Amino acid sequence: MAPAPYLVFDGVAKYFGDLEVVAPFFNLTIKRNEFVVFLGPSGSGKTTLMRMVGGLETPSVGEIRLDGLPIGAPDRERGMVFQSYSSFPWLTVSENVAYGMKYRHDMTPERKKKRLDHYLELVGLTDFADFYPNKVSGGMRQRIAIARTLAAGSEVLLMDEPFGALDAQRREGLQLELRRIHRQDAKTIIFVTHDVDEAVFLADRIVVFSKRPARMLEDVDISAELGPDRTIALRDSEQFFKLRTRILRMVRAATGEEEKV
Amino acid sequence: MPGGTLHGAPPPGAINSQQSRLRDHRVTIIKATVSAAPHAPAANAASTPRPLRRNPPRNQFFAFRGTLSKRAQILTAIGSTLFVLAVWELSTRLGLINATFLPPPSVTLETLWNMILHKNLLMHAGISTLRIWVAFALAVIMAVPIGIAMSSFRGVGAALEPIVDFIRYLPVPALVPLSIIWFGVGETTKIFLLWLGTFFQLVLLVADDMRRVPQEYVEISYTVGARPRQMLTDVAFRAMLPSLFDNLRITLGWCWTYLIIAEIVAADTGLGFVIWAARRYMNTSEVMAGVVAIGLIGLVTDQILRLVHKRLFRYL
Ligand SMILES: Nc1ncnc2c1ncn2[C@@H]1O[C@H](COP(=O)(O)OP(=O)(O)O)[C@@H](O)[C@H]1O
Ligand SMILES: [Mg+2]
Repeated sequence: MAPAPYLVFDGVAKYFGDLEVVAPFFNLTIKRNEFVVFLGPSGSGKTTLMRMVGGLETPSVGEIRLDGLPIGAPDRERGMVFQSYSSFPWLTVSENVAYGMKYRHDMTPERKKKRLDHYLELVGLTDFADFYPNKVSGGMRQRIAIARTLAAGSEVLLMDEPFGALDAQRREGLQLELRRIHRQDAKTIIFVTHDVDEAVFLADRIVVFSKRPARMLEDVDISAELGPDRTIALRDSEQFFKLRTRILRMVRAATGEEEKV
Repeated sequence: MPGGTLHGAPPPGAINSQQSRLRDHRVTIIKATVSAAPHAPAANAASTPRPLRRNPPRNQFFAFRGTLSKRAQILTAIGSTLFVLAVWELSTRLGLINATFLPPPSVTLETLWNMILHKNLLMHAGISTLRIWVAFALAVIMAVPIGIAMSSFRGVGAALEPIVDFIRYLPVPALVPLSIIWFGVGETTKIFLLWLGTFFQLVLLVADDMRRVPQEYVEISYTVGARPRQMLTDVAFRAMLPSLFDNLRITLGWCWTYLIIAEIVAADTGLGFVIWAARRYMNTSEVMAGVVAIGLIGLVTDQILRLVHKRLFRYL
């Protein structure tokens, strides 16, 4: 893996009218195939940063470049799992997942069908394939969104608190699978979460943000300490535990930061 | 059941006197019900204050968003209709209302039947319905793309909004003279007036339906690689379809208002003509029959469209 810059935030700031959401100037360089987790207080601007990568918002100042080229309109190259995890009510569960591949003309229908079955199975929705979204639970709808984005096969995955509404077991399963997909398909992933445990388990690198306006407080290289392979056993190791405590302190400091001012 | 209250009680050390009294009270009640139970339940239950009062079930007939069986709903609908008809019939039969001005339902129905048999009522109804559907189809075909364009593209919206909003407020009857000057008294005038009454309203309704399509749907579509046109047809249009259908159903109803105006002014066929001709001879029962015919056509059309809506949008 060549450590060439892949996704670059170059002197970025973002304002919504008078509201400063990303403080000037935000700089971050993400390598190809890196798994970066954004951690920070709610309302700090993490979603906004992701939406800018997705091309759904434009930076007020500065530039975001992917593979050397400035980011423009949204595209399949940068897939998103939205925080609201919506699905289309007029499509069944499996049609919703298949929608992720609708505009892929580089795949045969047989290939699409295989992928569809695979991702439905992966998120545990095979038995609900023919249900409409209004007949399944919130957690299942979230899994529809995850499966759809994975099926789309984007180079960069932007995941905004994607496992929030899932039960612990399903969550752990999907975390392992996401790590596997990341290693196998060479994806670059930005993942937002509130859960420090999840962050440490998944990340190659954790970026800790301040309260709004978002500033980078810490940039922790997790892979340097835990290595690239993540197994369930890792969760019980002392190493993991210590790292998690360290990150937790950083997040507490970030949240309490403004109380001192 | 009463034991459940104990679970909520705070630990003895942490309670103040008031809570303690409350707790003691509960305990006595529980003791009372427990000891009373084996002996004579009915007699004792009456003398013991009940520890927990459950709310009596609400009367579903008047409960806000209550549930009522399909059968009960249909029976209620039939019942209320029959009641109104009976009051109407009786008030004319008893002479409370002059039957010359308001013929009773029985007479109206009889007239309706006679008009079907001898006065070509069905043909008139057919012509009116045809006019409505032609004008309505024309309005829909034009309004749907324009409305979508207005809310999808800021430029189109900015350009058209003032014009549409202005014309929308013009009362159709005020434009009858102009329309006759332009198109004469033939079919064109009638179609034009109907179109005028619905097209501009529809444009704004369609634009609004499109505006209400959640932004997330659009973003999902783009981030899996849809081009803007694909997003519009595959997602935005599809998402607005149920509310569009509803708006079309409602607008179709308005068409009848404008139709009658058009047929009264310039026509020798159609239900509006029939009603207006009967008025000239003070033939109230024929006027009433014509009005009832319109109501029946409207009712049937609306029910059919509702059924189609249900079939098309099962996922809602
Ligand atoms: N389109 C928008 N217009 C105005 N304010 C916005 C918009 N999107 C987000 N914000 C505001 O920006 C701030 C950061 O939001 P967000 O990026 O969603 O934070 P996070 O994802 O870290 O919780 C919030 O105060 C939010 O209200
Ligand atoms: Mg967020």
